[in-house]
Amino acid sequence: MSDDGGPDASRELASPWEEDPDELYEHAPCGYLTMLPDGTIIRVNETFLAWTGYPRSGLVGRLRFRDLLTPGGQRYHETHYAPLLEMQDDVHEVAFDVVCADGRRLPTLVDSVLGRDPAGLPQVIRTTVFNATERRSYEMKLLAARRAAEASERQVRVLQQIVAELAAAPTEVEVAETVVRAPEPAFGAADATIWLVDPDRDQLTAVACAGPAVAGYDDVPWNSSRPVAEVARRGDLHVIGTVAEAEQHFPELAATMRRTGRSTVVLLPLTAAPSDDGGPDVLGVLAFGFAEPRELTDSELRVVRLLGHQAGQALDRARLYDDARRREDRAAFLAETTRALDEVHRLLPRAHRLIDRVVPEVAEWAAVRLAVGAAGLLADAGSPAPDPERLAERVVAVAATGEAQLTDAEGADPDVAVLPLCSRGRVLGTLALRMAPGRRTAAAESVFLTDLADRAGLALENARLYEQERAIARTLQRSLLADKMPRDSRFAVETHYQAAGRDLEVGGDWFDAFLITGDKLGVVIGDVVGRGIDAATTMGQLRSAIRALASAEAGPAGLLERLDRFVDRVESARMATVAYAEVDLATAEMTYACAGHVPPLLVEPTGTPRYLLDGRSGALGSRAGRAERVEHQIRLPVGSRLLLFTDGLIERRDRPIDRGFEMLAREYASRRDAPLEGLPAGLADILVGVDHADDVCLLCLALGTDDKLERTIPADPLQIALLRKDLRGWLASHDVEPECGQAVLLATSEAAGNAVEHGYRDNPLGTVEVTATISDDAIEVRVADHGVWRSAPGDLARGRGLQLIRQVMDEVNIVRGASGTTVTMRRARRADR
Amino acid sequence: MNEQQVSFAKLGDADLVRLVGEIDLANAPSIGREIIAHTAAAGAVLIDLTMVSFLDSAGVRLLDSLVGDLDDLGTPIRLVVGESGPARMTLKLCAFRDDLLATDLDRAAADLAC
Repeated sequence: MSDDGGPDASRELASPWEEDPDELYEHAPCGYLTMLPDGTIIRVNETFLAWTGYPRSGLVGRLRFRDLLTPGGQRYHETHYAPLLEMQDDVHEVAFDVVCADGRRLPTLVDSVLGRDPAGLPQVIRTTVFNATERRSYEMKLLAARRAAEASERQVRVLQQIVAELAAAPTEVEVAETVVRAPEPAFGAADATIWLVDPDRDQLTAVACAGPAVAGYDDVPWNSSRPVAEVARRGDLHVIGTVAEAEQHFPELAATMRRTGRSTVVLLPLTAAPSDDGGPDVLGVLAFGFAEPRELTDSELRVVRLLGHQAGQALDRARLYDDARRREDRAAFLAETTRALDEVHRLLPRAHRLIDRVVPEVAEWAAVRLAVGAAGLLADAGSPAPDPERLAERVVAVAATGEAQLTDAEGADPDVAVLPLCSRGRVLGTLALRMAPGRRTAAAESVFLTDLADRAGLALENARLYEQERAIARTLQRSLLADKMPRDSRFAVETHYQAAGRDLEVGGDWFDAFLITGDKLGVVIGDVVGRGIDAATTMGQLRSAIRALASAEAGPAGLLERLDRFVDRVESARMATVAYAEVDLATAEMTYACAGHVPPLLVEPTGTPRYLLDGRSGALGSRAGRAERVEHQIRLPVGSRLLLFTDGLIERRDRPIDRGFEMLAREYASRRDAPLEGLPAGLADILVGVDHADDVCLLCLALGTDDKLERTIPADPLQIALLRKDLRGWLASHDVEPECGQAVLLATSEAAGNAVEHGYRDNPLGTVEVTATISDDAIEVRVADHGVWRSAPGDLARGRGLQLIRQVMDEVNIVRGASGTTVTMRRARRADR
Repeated sequence: MNEQQVSFAKLGDADLVRLVGEIDLANAPSIGREIIAHTAAAGAVLIDLTMVSFLDSAGVRLLDSLVGDLDDLGTPIRLVVGESGPARMTLKLCAFRDDLLATDLDRAAADLAC
């Protein structure tokens, strides 16, 4: 016993029974082999024989140790084991698989010692063999675990990278393109394809693929029996391990797998958070395949599922983002469309504007049909247009029911939608369109399209009403202004009405002239506030009221007072302005009054034009204006011309009104001797042009048909007709016999024509002065120009003109001088001349 | 303006040209061109001047050259001027041949058809 009472390790303990050394050798816990230097086994213990199943006789003297090894082991024995033993006389813990008698392989660890003879030559090899079965399997497990850990790490890394990329993918397509790249690096897949669920089209749309597609790269209907649809419907991961397995459930897939050389296919649903009804919300399916049969471990399956969730969430986010952006785009589009439609007032331009908005941004083809007028109205653009007959049927159906047809399952163009354009419960027409490629279907966009159609319907209805009112107002106004102006030998009235430029509504401007009594002429010009049909009807009422209220006794001020009372009952006439004048044709006295209206412009035969600024009071029914109606009387010399006009003539945005007044006076003065016919129109032309913002009315009253008619016309053949018109009226007012009148007209025309054609051949800016005088006996006409009389031999025309003059006139005198030519001619008024 | 002033029709075998309004220096050339364009291939021509309210020497020149051209072609022509009126007055003053002038349209048409 040791000091502390423990066993004494320095002494060998006696075993409780006698150990037989042979027994120990044969049944030791390891195999013993003794071999000659060439490896031939000369002794082997029972333990080794028991492990390997060989009989002793099968080994001793018959086989070398290396014969018991696997081919790989034999090679290692030759290249490492034998040389090492030869060199260092011992080898330790060399792992060899020993091939047993029944072919099993026994993992072993081998120690060998080389014994040498006194001469140092190899004599014997002693080898112990330890059974390493347990240890080897442990090592294998360790190795497998390490490999699994490495694979898992790689998969997680790939997944992490994919997740990072998904976070940066804003759209569904970008998400899909990211996800489809994952299976190859993560699991060693040969290919991958991704489908996204498209609820609008009720299908799975193939959007991206990497490598050759195993399960087919095409769109799959939601209700299809194909595995992709199956997985999408169920929301479960499917692993089809072998072609045989596919054969059982999905023959079509089996065929594809065979064709593309795939052994294993994985179908992974891409799921977001559970939907409202509890099931997984499947947003897409990812399929990937392997060329070799591939068994996925539990941890790999977990990674696969994780990929499905991550992708699903990214898709969900992208979908929400897409939705939000789409909503924003639509709202902006609708607002912009409403604004664009408001810019044009009339119906057809507005319909075209709508089509311009829709094509190509929303639709690749669109047509607006409106049930307006006998033929209806059509505006369309884009292509391809659908089958016209089928479209016509659908348009009729939509117009009748007022219900949109977003698709047409029966026709040749199922993707053409027909929407009603409604306003105030009435179907005004239809909007048909084919959605632009890349846009969602009309059914999916139904809310947006309905909103668009509603806005368009309202805008088009407003345009239609505008159009209708405009037409009525124009008709009304024209009918009111179309009356023939009175005319006799003592006066002449010339008027001009010019509607506002382009698309503007009619205004309430009007003019009128009428005989109150045989000797008293009333002339009026006025302007009702506002535009459109209200203004036109009010104008008509005021016009009638003035005709009814005008009397020999009342006078202009009295008339305006009565109009004030009238306006109290006809509110729309309030603030209308009127210039009214009564002319006594016997005395040439004129009494006038202006109720808020621009002053009349008078030009007397001598003197410059002047505005008549007396007799002014406020607009009709004005509360702020001077209430007392005043009038003013002046005498109009024979030959005076009075111009009444509305403010549209002188008001222009780019010109102060003072300048307008000045300009009008100047232009009027320069036309002092111009024929009355066309005078107001000419003034309107000069002062406002064609494209103006307001209506313009002008009335020109020429007083007193003198014994003398004086006109100066530009050297323009067209002016001769206007001259003839004045001359004809002048002759008529003096009761000249028709035949005599015709003769004077012909002679004067010929003389003026000669002056224009020959005298001013080289000077288009020249003027021709015409003076006609009449007495009881005769008419004398003088036509003078300042041109150069150039004789052109053989000019038959001029000869004929002069000959005609000589034939129809009694006396003709032609004076040609350096300063021009003057033709004086005379004809007796008597028929028996 | 010429659209309203000139119109064309058929009366029997003859081409009928109706002139309306004033014909003078300003519009005679264009009216002339229009008539020539429409009657180049006519078998016979009737020109109705009864609605003309004024005719000056430019109009006379137009009619004169028209008659001359048609005479050269052997195409019969009549100018219908009524019993009175500005056109008749001017053409009479210019001494147009009596066989050219007719007072009645139908009779002139029948005359041409012979």
